[in-house]
Amino acid sequence: MAMSSEIDDLQRLITVAPETTDLDTGCESVDMAVLTSFEESQLDGEPDLVLELIDLYLTETVRLLVAMREALTNKDELSIKRAAHSLRGSSSSLGILQMAFICDELERTEFKDMFAIASELLKCMEQEFARVSQILLAERQRRGE
Amino acid sequence: MSKKTQKVSRRILVADDDPVIRHLITSLVEKEQYDAVVVNDGKEAYRLLQKDANFCAAIFDKIMPHLQGLDLIRFMSTDERLSRIPVLMITSERDLQLIAESFAAGVTLFLPKPFTAEQFKFTLRLLLSNRPAFSETA
Repeated sequence: MAMSSEIDDLQRLITVAPETTDLDTGCESVDMAVLTSFEESQLDGEPDLVLELIDLYLTETVRLLVAMREALTNKDELSIKRAAHSLRGSSSSLGILQMAFICDELERTEFKDMFAIASELLKCMEQEFARVSQILLAERQRRGE
Repeated sequence: MSKKTQKVSRRILVADDDPVIRHLITSLVEKEQYDAVVVNDGKEAYRLLQKDANFCAAIFDKIMPHLQGLDLIRFMSTDERLSRIPVLMITSERDLQLIAESFAAGVTLFLPKPFTAEQFKFTLRLLLSNRPAFSETA
């Protein structure tokens, strides 16, 4: 379960959810078919696996976005890229496509002005996460919390 | 001397620092009716493997803090008790050179992220078809 400070971070991000992300790749934010495909791995008598994955993803993504923001402030390229790599893995695995794409862009950034590009991509990521959160929280509610 | 008891191990070591992927893999492993022994990173896996070799397989993330999946596999290859354990490496890397290096170090199978439940199940079964039939109890 998310800690209160992480919930605060999440709520702050969601309230600023834009209609579109600055970096729009054309792919949908969440491919729900990928996420719900894990229903077949649900163990009898155990909590809803998809719901648990949603909760873990939301909590972990807030943590990684905060870490990336801090790393950007400290001009710590390695930490930014590690966090982006981690977020790409979980995003792509759950069908959170556009977020995975933006993480991939950030991981591949190699230019001298990396931090300026990273700053823009991180902003895109936060915008996209706001959209993703709304979709996932709606799915969470549909599943009956 | 008493005859040493042998039984089929149903334990799979899972090491991944990402809580989302870790939980997903654990659920998929348990769905296949194996016992997942879960650690949060490579260092924890290393410490556990030093005292416990009773696993029928290991599943490692390639990139983890402290000790990466490849380092773990190199360590396992130096220990006879551990070198028999088939290892599945999960990665979102797409660099063929890195994949080739991993096979050279002793990775049994690769599963690229993202993967479906079906792909994981198939890969796990393939991995376990490579294991020795019996393992000694710890």
